[in-house]
Amino acid sequence: MIQASRARQLSPIAHLGDATLRLVGDTGAMFLFFVESFGRIFRSWGQFVKTVRQIYFIGVKSVSVITLISLFTGMVIGLQMYYALAKFGADGFLGAAVSLSLVRELGPVLTAIMITGRAGSSMTAEIGVMRISEQIDALRVMDINPIGYLVSPKLAASIICFPILTAFFDLVGMLGGYLTGVLLLGGNSGVYWYRVSAYLKMNDITGGFIKSLVFGVVVCTVCCYMGYYTHTRRDAVGPEGVSQATTAGVVTSCVLILLSDYILTSLLF
Amino acid sequence: MTQIIPDIRLEGLTIGYGEQPVVSDIDAVLPGGKITVILGGSGCGKSTLLKHILRLHPALAGRIVIGGHDLDSLDRRGMHCLRQRMGVLFQDGALLGSLTLGDNVALPLREHTRLKEREVRERVLAKLGLVGLADFHDYFPNELSGGMRKRAGLARAMVMDPPLLFCDEPTSGLDPVTAAELDQLLLELKRRSEMTLVVVSHDLDSMRTIADHVLVLGDGRLLFQGSRTELEATQDEYLRRFLDRQAAERTTPRLTMPALDMKVMKRNCAGYLEEK
Repeated sequence: MIQASRARQLSPIAHLGDATLRLVGDTGAMFLFFVESFGRIFRSWGQFVKTVRQIYFIGVKSVSVITLISLFTGMVIGLQMYYALAKFGADGFLGAAVSLSLVRELGPVLTAIMITGRAGSSMTAEIGVMRISEQIDALRVMDINPIGYLVSPKLAASIICFPILTAFFDLVGMLGGYLTGVLLLGGNSGVYWYRVSAYLKMNDITGGFIKSLVFGVVVCTVCCYMGYYTHTRRDAVGPEGVSQATTAGVVTSCVLILLSDYILTSLLF
Repeated sequence: MTQIIPDIRLEGLTIGYGEQPVVSDIDAVLPGGKITVILGGSGCGKSTLLKHILRLHPALAGRIVIGGHDLDSLDRRGMHCLRQRMGVLFQDGALLGSLTLGDNVALPLREHTRLKEREVRERVLAKLGLVGLADFHDYFPNELSGGMRKRAGLARAMVMDPPLLFCDEPTSGLDPVTAAELDQLLLELKRRSEMTLVVVSHDLDSMRTIADHVLVLGDGRLLFQGSRTELEATQDEYLRRFLDRQAAERTTPRLTMPALDMKVMKRNCAGYLEEK
């Protein structure tokens, strides 16, 4: 009786321990998964063709959504900042405020979150469906490494696309700020662009690019990992497992984007 | 891989997932150059055994020896070598959905050979022609019927001309005519290219058509191994029941729904209705 009661008392601690062990195990496995996929990027010329296809899927097909989001983000920042700065008679600094907030923070983070929603979820679903329909087993028995075949081109494409899309987001966002701050609310056009060029330092731009690179690696690794190990999920199997894996991939990616953003911001700026 | 037509030996093999055994202590020989059918009811571990032979899962105990090579002792290079000598037809074909039929069949050639694109195309068309799908080269798997997907999977499995061919339930879900065609195709393949075929099935008709050698799994163990005629002549009670039950299913017309006895239904529902 005493032992049973003690077991019940220890149960939450045991659960916590189990969850911690799983977290540590998953983190380690994810890191090894990344190392293997990264190592297989350069294995053969065939990877180049697959990578170009993925660049089209992750990069080119995301341009429209990134344009929309960045334009409206820039417009909202322009609107909010203009009124806030005007209170202190500093509306001339609108260009600096918009460009710094976009290049250092919002550009990399929002781009990564948007690509997670658009391309990350489909990476998880695609690989998850391949797992449950034995396509990954088929690759293995054909002596084709599934990680090299499926994940490496996606990782290479993410590493290339995330910084480019971030740069695109920054530019369109600044244009959005210009639309509201200058064309709509009557700010000075020359002052706006002068402040952008004067206050935006190289350090801000490289910092933003480093962030987007890290986010690209995180999003691709997490989403592909979730899909690849769909069959080991405890909560669901089959198609339901794929949908759970997709949700988990998107949520985990978003959390890790914000977490790594905080760490990178404190290290880089 | 020294043997041209390799045999497969299973020695004290226990298979399963995690710590849980599904079939224990299998001692069997799957002879080279013959068609071995692994037979058994649903869930008895046939496909699991196939996946263990293919090294998709590690065995819990025992050894798998293919062409004189213990799979456990093979290094990465040896395993690469072996896998390139295997062709596998999965239950639903397992074709890559994002590739056309032609690209699916060409995949092993593009990954493992330095053939020119023209030669790859020729070989792919030849294999697709063998399974009657040469005109469907540019179709995607989701544009094909289940039977066509299986045949395309077979074309992909054969494209490297492997001496070992594994088929997981090739006739399941197919109409009797298509199933018989697929059986004939397997026989034709064996006749043409002298290969070792391992076919997992629960279809007795198919077994009677193609099998040279039969393994029967059930009750968590290997129940029988021997020739087709030996199996048909067996007096083992379980095997007889298995064979006869399937035979009865073949000869008795099946109803799509069990006939309802209205008296029994009314009696069963009476209590429920009274409670309401």
